[in-house]
Amino acid sequence: MNSLTTATDKKITSDLLPQKFGRNGMIWTGILIIFCLVGAFAYYRQLRYGLEVTAMRDYVSWGIYISNFVFFVAISLVGSLITAIFRLANVKWSTPLTRIAEIIAVSAIVFASIIIIVDMGRPERFMNLFIYGRIQSPIMWDVIVIATYFVISLLLLYLPLLPDLRIMNQQTGKAVNWMQKLYRFLGSFWKGNSMQFKLSNKAINILCIVIIPVAFCIHTVTSWLFATTYRPGWDSTNFGAYFVSGAFLVGAGGVVVAMYVFRRAYRLENYLQDRHFDKMARIVVMLALLYLYFNINEYLVPAFKMKKPEEEHLHQLFTGEFALMFWFAITIGMIIPILILIFPKGRKPLPVFIAGVMVVVGAWFKRYLIVTPTLLHPFLPMSDVPESYRHYFPTWEEWAIAIGSLAGALLVITFFARIFPIIPIHETITELHETEEQPA
Amino acid sequence: MKPKNNLLKLLLAFCLLIVSVNIVAQDSVKKELLVDIEYYLPANKLPYILVHTKTKVEKRFLPVKDIKIAVFMDSDSAAHSLGNSVTDENGTAKFMIPSSMKTVWESSATHSFIASTGATKEFDETRNEINVTKSKIEIDTVAGAESRTIQVSVFSLSEGNWIPARDVEMKIGVRRAGGLLPVGEEETYTTDSTGTVQAEFKRENLPGDTKGNLSIVVKVEGNEMLGNLESEKMLTWGAPRQPVSSNHPRTLWSTRDKAPIWLLFMAISIMAGVWGTIVYLIATIIRIKKLGKQAG
Repeated sequence: MNSLTTATDKKITSDLLPQKFGRNGMIWTGILIIFCLVGAFAYYRQLRYGLEVTAMRDYVSWGIYISNFVFFVAISLVGSLITAIFRLANVKWSTPLTRIAEIIAVSAIVFASIIIIVDMGRPERFMNLFIYGRIQSPIMWDVIVIATYFVISLLLLYLPLLPDLRIMNQQTGKAVNWMQKLYRFLGSFWKGNSMQFKLSNKAINILCIVIIPVAFCIHTVTSWLFATTYRPGWDSTNFGAYFVSGAFLVGAGGVVVAMYVFRRAYRLENYLQDRHFDKMARIVVMLALLYLYFNINEYLVPAFKMKKPEEEHLHQLFTGEFALMFWFAITIGMIIPILILIFPKGRKPLPVFIAGVMVVVGAWFKRYLIVTPTLLHPFLPMSDVPESYRHYFPTWEEWAIAIGSLAGALLVITFFARIFPIIPIHETITELHETEEQPA
Repeated sequence: MKPKNNLLKLLLAFCLLIVSVNIVAQDSVKKELLVDIEYYLPANKLPYILVHTKTKVEKRFLPVKDIKIAVFMDSDSAAHSLGNSVTDENGTAKFMIPSSMKTVWESSATHSFIASTGATKEFDETRNEINVTKSKIEIDTVAGAESRTIQVSVFSLSEGNWIPARDVEMKIGVRRAGGLLPVGEEETYTTDSTGTVQAEFKRENLPGDTKGNLSIVVKVEGNEMLGNLESEKMLTWGAPRQPVSSNHPRTLWSTRDKAPIWLLFMAISIMAGVWGTIVYLIATIIRIKKLGKQAG
């Protein structure tokens, strides 16, 4: 498409152009900024007084921060699912979802990187990881793969954006000055000629192929941070697949939530249609069943053998201190969403949104359950330690930083949707023309 | 009023009785604290004093920690104090002879060391004393045609002269990781009238360090007159041994410069493949940009 020709094209463009924040948008953004500022203040306190302000001690040295990190890494996997896998499988209906998925992936991976630095008591020593890092360490692999995934996700966000940037550049007067400068900086060179499209499509296809193994690596390596440590609850060969399946589920859950919010906020009912929710709901059911299967594997096999250290860990999860959270994560994060979404009425936008929220919330608590209870049950029993070492409940600073990071990720998505079209304009118009041109 | 006063007096008397009985009872349960003093002279150099506190609990002697101890030399006056310390969890406190006591130390060949503890809730005040004569050990070797012998001489100081110390029992051995390995068949040796003892070295081909060095140790333990003496001499009587590391030079748990080759190969291959692709894609974006400028 070289210019906006038909009235339909103009209508689509007009509908999908970024819109100014309304009253609700301003309130939403304001709340997110407040959470971020409180989180920043809490981090200032942590920098000033050290990790002592957290509830982390000798045993629970990975608390809510690492749970949050795993959650961010998990949700970032959605970029490869919606964009790459669907594109390579020639799934056309996913076009309106690709940019939503990619911006979720980019913002999540950015905050995954930030939160891992927050977890460090001496963040100024971060560079030592590169100067003195050992390639034998899974932590080093994680750093490498996260950086790689971030760059690939950014490219996968940017390349399909080029045709839309040309459209934005043509809409003079509809954006404020700095935004127009940004559009020109990012995409003024895009003329939409066939050679540029050819190169761009080739590059996107290569990215879609590369991002899948990298995405699998990022979550597998994150799981190995745990599985290569000999501890009850982590000592599992199942962990890589378990983490990847969980990541796909929470990513898909995150996309349906974002779809519903954007549809309501920007009145995108014609583009994010009921059929999109229906199809995504079916995918969520499939992924929830898959994750449930891995959960059964993860808990049933050790429970059958009931080795002594595993026994204590499992009892704490099933009936002990963490039972309420454990069953909440299983039922809210998997079982109830499946029950909602298997029925056609449950696959309408609102129920899908509710199920998506459940999946995301359940997934966050699931990450907490993967990290913390294991640390409280070492193979060698705790003895002669202060009482505070035996339990873990995050301090207000930890909560503020964790919530601030979640708000930060949402803020990135919010600002992105304010500046760039959240649904690809050019691809939507092209697909419409292709549909019209097909013989009846 | 009078009966009431009498009742109060009776109550007061009863309370006093209970308190006094308790005090007497507390006094009577005080345990006996045993204080042992040991004199140590390592390598004929700086001597030190170890004080051990222990008490008998159910037919066993157990160390007592957190006992304040003061140690004096020759006289328990402030001028002769070696210092104050508190026993550790093993019931031990260590005292060095401070440089300020040099004159006192050099004034006599024999000294007494006095340790005293203050009274605590559990123990009464305790005091103990030992007498020590200054001494030294000399180690020499006598190499024969077919045998090698270690000669040890012990001397004690008397009126400014080193005289041979007779009937001093000692251990002569080679320092190994697990303790002292006797150099011969005897467990201990005793000095003769010349203060000398000879021990034949029968540990042929005993692994030493890379040059075959062995550490020969002479120990006099708990001698009533001399205390605890220890001296050491390096001899090249062992078999040279090149240490062989049981670790593979390149392992997952080695340092960063000793990563396994297969891991390096895999990691570098994957990184080169993926980042090579990323570089290619960035080059593609630059090409797209150039095409745009040419068209524009």
